[in-house]
Amino acid sequence: MANVNWRTINVDALDPDSPANFDLSSLTPAVAPVATADVQALAGQIRQLMRGGDNEGALQGALENPPYGADDRGKEVHLAAVIEILQSIRQSDMSPILQRIYSAPGGSEALDVLMKYIYKGMAQSSTVSATRNITPQATGFSQIHSRGGGEGGGQAMSVLLSWHEKLVEIAGPGSIVRVMTDRRTV
Amino acid sequence: MSQSLRPYLQCVRSSLTAALSLSNFASQASERHNVPEIEAQSCPEVLLNPLTISRNENEKVFIEPSINSVRISIKIKQADEIENILVHKFTRFLNQRAEAFFILRRKAVKGYDISFLITNFHTEEMLKHKLVDFIIQFMEEVDKEISEMKLFLNARARFVAESFLTPFD
Amino acid sequence: MSPPEVHHLFHHPIADHSFSADRQTLAVAKENNIELYQRAGGKFQLKDELTGHDKTVTGVDIAPNTGKIVTCSQDRNAYVWEPSPEGWKPTLVLLRINRAATCVRWAPSETKFAVGSGARLIPVCYFEEEDNWWVSKHLKKPIRSTITTVAWHPNSVLLAAGSTDGHARVFSSFIKGVDARPEPSAWGERLPFNTVCGEFLNNTAGWIHSVAFSPSGNALAFAAHDSSLTVVYPSAPEQPPRAVVSITTQLLPFMSIVWSGEDEIIAAGYNCEAYRLQGSEQGWQLSGSLESKGRPGMQAEREESAFNMFKQMDLKGKVTDDTKLKTVHQNTISTIRSFKEGGGTVSQISSTGVDGRVVIWTL
Repeated sequence: MANVNWRTINVDALDPDSPANFDLSSLTPAVAPVATADVQALAGQIRQLMRGGDNEGALQGALENPPYGADDRGKEVHLAAVIEILQSIRQSDMSPILQRIYSAPGGSEALDVLMKYIYKGMAQSSTVSATRNITPQATGFSQIHSRGGGEGGGQAMSVLLSWHEKLVEIAGPGSIVRVMTDRRTV
Repeated sequence: MSQSLRPYLQCVRSSLTAALSLSNFASQASERHNVPEIEAQSCPEVLLNPLTISRNENEKVFIEPSINSVRISIKIKQADEIENILVHKFTRFLNQRAEAFFILRRKAVKGYDISFLITNFHTEEMLKHKLVDFIIQFMEEVDKEISEMKLFLNARARFVAESFLTPFD
Repeated sequence: MSPPEVHHLFHHPIADHSFSADRQTLAVAKENNIELYQRAGGKFQLKDELTGHDKTVTGVDIAPNTGKIVTCSQDRNAYVWEPSPEGWKPTLVLLRINRAATCVRWAPSETKFAVGSGARLIPVCYFEEEDNWWVSKHLKKPIRSTITTVAWHPNSVLLAAGSTDGHARVFSSFIKGVDARPEPSAWGERLPFNTVCGEFLNNTAGWIHSVAFSPSGNALAFAAHDSSLTVVYPSAPEQPPRAVVSITTQLLPFMSIVWSGEDEIIAAGYNCEAYRLQGSEQGWQLSGSLESKGRPGMQAEREESAFNMFKQMDLKGKVTDDTKLKTVHQNTISTIRSFKEGGGTVSQISSTGVDGRVVIWTL
């Protein structure tokens, strides 16, 4: 006890009423917890759709059920699935797909979710290695990653950047603002 | 301009435009103070989710928004050790003159080479889109600057080496 | 639609503004002072300056009938200014807060006013005849963060407040002896002080920039930092609301909103433009900007001679001068208020912003 430096104690942190101890969970509506297994099952379904060539359906399905309540692992799994879809869609198809999602009911929300995934994808320092570690089953899609891993994830990032550009054209800066304010992270 | 630089800068531009929606906000933690919340970090509810924009492993922009201030950190491309040294010297030079640049932060955020701090007082007296333009322009120029310096350094090194190693007649 | 009337007062942010009832006097909050402008012909001329605050003034409101001005500032104080033969006489209000005051509004009855504060409470202030000063009663629960905005219900008892904790709340600010017992409404029947009649949160949870009751008081709208506008229609006391309509926009967030009728809201903010939103319980949508794009005067002003253009390119190395925005306001609009209204609809609004302009729009 003698070594405690009283001057450097942050007294605010000890006061439950201080602004520093604001309960951030009060900013989010109740989110039901999601088990990692469920997220994995969903990711499996999404991949099924993708294999069937229905990229748009896969994207829509992935964006409609963001696992807000999942733990970090579950979120990683879903992120990997979304990134995979994004990478499998051709550049020329991006705008029409976004336009269709936007005009569907609840579309603006789906695009906000997509925006979150794009930023999250870019924040992932090494998307390539991380995703490969986390998805244990080799689905044959790993080659997409390895191609993207060319120069420090430059290829993967450039896909996300062009998605971002197309998305801002449709959803406007409002959707970026919502990525910043929304405490329900993906 | 290389192919992926344009979307990268475009992404930074739109993210900054969204993040620079600032308002005057007096501190909740200390009486009669008005401090950049992103630096004070005293009230979690007025800090927003940070955004990362990356072109690749070595080029990134990190935007930390809050109610009255935004911190923008840039990781400048460093392909080799020479560029590493050049970037270090260059940002050090700028950081020491931070007052003259208004929005420059004296110290870069950890993991990044240079940081800016824009508060609501900056967006009040300067045009917001011009502030965004400035950051974008800085990002464009700094790459150019560094590679120019590197070329100059190499040329100089070659010249010096030549002078040294020319056999005496 | 007649073009907006623009007055460029100075190059400083206007935190808040208020017109007197006859619309001849304009009070604006500029830095630590309040400036009073008098309309003279087509212009506003500086007439008086109210000094006394020693930090940024954040709110100013002129009571329409009594002409009293209430101001509040980040120095934690509020003053009520009354006209007297020697000029404006300030009376300090006992707010009893230890953080900045952020906004202030007179109740429609003009017997009390509410001040938002960073101390996580709302002092509701009323005049105590015996002691001859303004005292306050605190609305406290369940506020968890700075109050950014307050708005009164037409019955002067219900008070809406928005906060940085992302919630818009409706409180009762009934003060015995000051207020008459209010008619029961959809918001509540028995309303002792600090009754929480409603608490609303958006899914995307940005802090609230502005709240407003509809002209009838039977709906509440609030704009948050997530670029959304939410309209709440209450059903009955203690019941969940009949409808909560939330619209997320593609724009930057709105800073201020005004109901121009029961089915129309004008909102303005970081986009430097005012927008019109229309709807009802079934749904709301953005129906467009108040500014007609490409106004004639604008083009002519921008047109330059070829000589000038090349001179610009030579001197500054740029092709176009893009320091001017296409909108009337050149920076964020911080406050909009009704300027002219009649029969439950607002026909003109005034807006002020960070660029020091006051603009009067005809809807």
